[in-house]
Amino acid sequence: MKTITEQNLRALVDALISDGKRVVGPRVAGTMTLYEPLTGGAELALGELPRRSAKETFLPLCETILTYEQGKEAVHLGDVDPVRLPETVLIGARPCDVAAAPVLDAVFSWDYRDEFFLERRRKTTIIGLACTGGDDACFCTAMGLSPADSTGSDLFLTPLKGGSFRCDAITDKGTALLAAHAGLFADGTGEPLPLAEPALGALDLEKIRAWLDGHFEDPLWEEIAARCAGCGACAFLCPACHCFDIVDEGGTAKGARRKSWDACGFGKFTNHASGHNPRDVQPQRYRNRIMHKFKYYVDKFDQRLCTGCGRCIRACPVGIDIAAVLEEINDK
Amino acid sequence: MTTTAHTIDPALYAAATAALRQEARTVLENGTAAAVIGWQAGRRAGSALPAIVTDPAGAEQLIFAPGCVNNLALYLTKAKKEVRGKGRLAIVVKGCDLRALAGLIGENQLNRADIYIIGIACPGVYGAHADRRLPLAEETVAPKCRECTVHTPTGVDVTVGTLPDLPAFTPREAAELARLEAMTPAERWRFWKEHFSRCIRCYACRQVCPFCYCEQCLCDRNRPQAVETTPRPAGNMAWHIVRAMHLAGRCAGCAECERVCPMDIPLNLLNRKMAKELKALYGFEAGLEPQEKGPLTSYREDDDQSFIK
Ligand code: SF4
Ligand code: SF4
Ligand code: SF4
Ligand code: SF4
Ligand code: SF4
Repeated sequence: MKTITEQNLRALVDALISDGKRVVGPRVAGTMTLYEPLTGGAELALGELPRRSAKETFLPLCETILTYEQGKEAVHLGDVDPVRLPETVLIGARPCDVAAAPVLDAVFSWDYRDEFFLERRRKTTIIGLACTGGDDACFCTAMGLSPADSTGSDLFLTPLKGGSFRCDAITDKGTALLAAHAGLFADGTGEPLPLAEPALGALDLEKIRAWLDGHFEDPLWEEIAARCAGCGACAFLCPACHCFDIVDEGGTAKGARRKSWDACGFGKFTNHASGHNPRDVQPQRYRNRIMHKFKYYVDKFDQRLCTGCGRCIRACPVGIDIAAVLEEINDK
Repeated sequence: MTTTAHTIDPALYAAATAALRQEARTVLENGTAAAVIGWQAGRRAGSALPAIVTDPAGAEQLIFAPGCVNNLALYLTKAKKEVRGKGRLAIVVKGCDLRALAGLIGENQLNRADIYIIGIACPGVYGAHADRRLPLAEETVAPKCRECTVHTPTGVDVTVGTLPDLPAFTPREAAELARLEAMTPAERWRFWKEHFSRCIRCYACRQVCPFCYCEQCLCDRNRPQAVETTPRPAGNMAWHIVRAMHLAGRCAGCAECERVCPMDIPLNLLNRKMAKELKALYGFEAGLEPQEKGPLTSYREDDDQSFIK
C-alpha cells in the first residue's frame, strides 16, 4: 500500500507543474473554493466542496473553437487544434465530481465525437479524493456511489488520521503517475478518517425510471416546477449537465466562434427559429431536466446524469431540491 | 434555547406561521383568492421554498421562518404565466418584498384590485450562506435585514404577526457602499471588473428579479447580438451595465439578485448605488406606494437637461 503526506502531496503539485503540466485543483477564490489551475502546491485547498464542479476541466465554461479575420484578399480562419491542449492533472476532486467524467464520455463520443472534450479527457489524469465532509444536500449514496467511490479516478486518495493519504492506483494512468513520482510516496497504511454521511436513504432508481416512463404528463411537474425561476444555476453547477451553445461573436472584421454552457431551464433553450417554443412553460422545462437525467440518458447510455453532489440543491434560488423530488417519485 | 440580545426568538416565527395559516385558509375558503403564494418547509434543516396553495387544507403547509427568503412578487409577473393563470392571487409579503409589488403596480404589470396582500411582520431572514440549523442572529442574518426599516409592512390587506423591539444588528451594506464611494473611479472599475469576471451568466440574478419580466431580454438576442452571451469579460461587463441601468429607478432593493448569485457577486451594492443616484438626481425613491412612472420612464418639463450639450 502506498501513502503520501500532505506536504508531499503539495510537492507533487509543484513537481507536476515543473514537468510542464497544467494542474487543476480546489483553490480558494475569494469567498468560495473553485477548481482552478494551480500555480503551486501551496494553493491546494482540500477542505471545502468547490462551488462549481470539476467538469470544466473537460468542458470549459467558454472556449474558442474557431477564429476569423477579414484580410485584404480573403477571410482568414484560425482553426483551434485540440492536439495543442495541455496535459492536465486534476487533483483533489471529490468522488461525486469524478464519477461524472465517464458519464460524460458516453455522450461526447456517441454519434458525433467532440474532439475538444475527448482530447481534454484523454490528456487528463484524475486524482480523486475520498470525501470526509458533506452536508444534507449530498446524496451520492442514494445514486449508487459513495464518499469513497473511485469511479472515474486514475489515482485515489483516502485521508488518514494524522494528515496523510492512502493512494490507490485505479488505472494505468494512475500507476504511471505514481511510478513517475515514486519518491514522494511511501509504503505504509493508516486508519482512514470517517467519511461524509450523505443525508438521503437508498432510492430505487429502476422504480424511478419506470415511473418517469409512464408520467410524461403528470400534475407533479406543475406542483414542483411552477416555482422554478428558469435560471441556469442548477445546470451550470452540475458535474453531469453538459448542454452547450455555439455562437459567433465579434464584428465583420474579426471575431470568434465560441462554445459555452447552456441550460434547459432557460426559456429560450428550445425556442425555434419560427418563434414556436415546444417547452413553453417552466414545469415542462424542469420535467425535461429530470427526464434527461433519470430516464432518457439511462435508456440511451445505461447511466444516470446525476452523482448526488447536491450542488443544484444548494444553489437553487427557489429551493427546488432534486433529492426531495426523487424521494417523492420513489414513494409513489 | 437561550435568547441573547442579538438572537431572534424563534417563537416570533411560530406565532406568525399560525396566524398566516389561519388567514390563508380563510381567503381560500371564502373565495377571496384562487391561490395563496407563500412559503413551505423544504427537506433540509431550516430550508423553505415558495409554495402555491390552492386548496384550503393546503394552508397547513405554509410557514414563516428565517428560511423564508424569497421575494414572492416574482410569481405575480408575466414571466410566470402558469401561476398568473390560476385566478385572483393572494400573496404573502415581507416589508422589503412589498416595494416590488408597489413597483409592479406602478408599471401597470399588476392591478391592485386583482391581488390580496398578506403582509407579514418580519424580524429578518437568513443570509445566502447562513447555517440554517442556527437561529437568526448576527452571524446568520441577511445583509439587507441589518438595515431594514420596514419590518412591519403597511398598506397591505391584512398583516399577520407582531413584533417586539428587535435587536439592532451591525449595518454592513452602508459601510461597504461608503468604502466603494471613497474609491477613485479607477479603483472602483477594478473592483467591479474583478467581481464581474467571475460571472458565469447563469442569469439567476435576472430570473429572480421581479422587474426582469421582459419577454425578450436584450441579453438573449442573437440576431443581431447586442451583448455577447458567453461568460467572458466583454459580455459580462455589458450584461451588468445593462442590468444596472435597466433597473435604475425600478429596483426595489429586495437583494434577491445578490442572494442567488452562485458566484457571490455583490450586486445589491450596485443596486443601492443606482438608487442613491436616482434620489440625488430626481428626488425619487422606489417606495411603498405605487408610482405613476419611474423617473427614467417619464418626461417632465422641469427635468434636468444640463447633460445635453
Ligand atoms: S443533478 Fe444536482 S445533485 Fe445531481 S449531479 Fe447534478 S448538481 Fe449534483
Ligand atoms: S430548479 Fe432552481 S436552479 Fe434550476 S432552473 Fe429552476 S430555479 Fe434555477
Ligand atoms: S429586510 Fe426587513 S422585511 Fe425584509 S426580510 Fe429583512 S427584516 Fe424582513
Ligand atoms: S435588481 Fe435585485 S434587488 Fe432590485 S428588485 Fe431585482 S432582484 Fe430585487
Ligand atoms: S447570478 Fe451571478 S453568476 Fe449568475 S448571471 Fe447573475 S451575476 Fe452572473
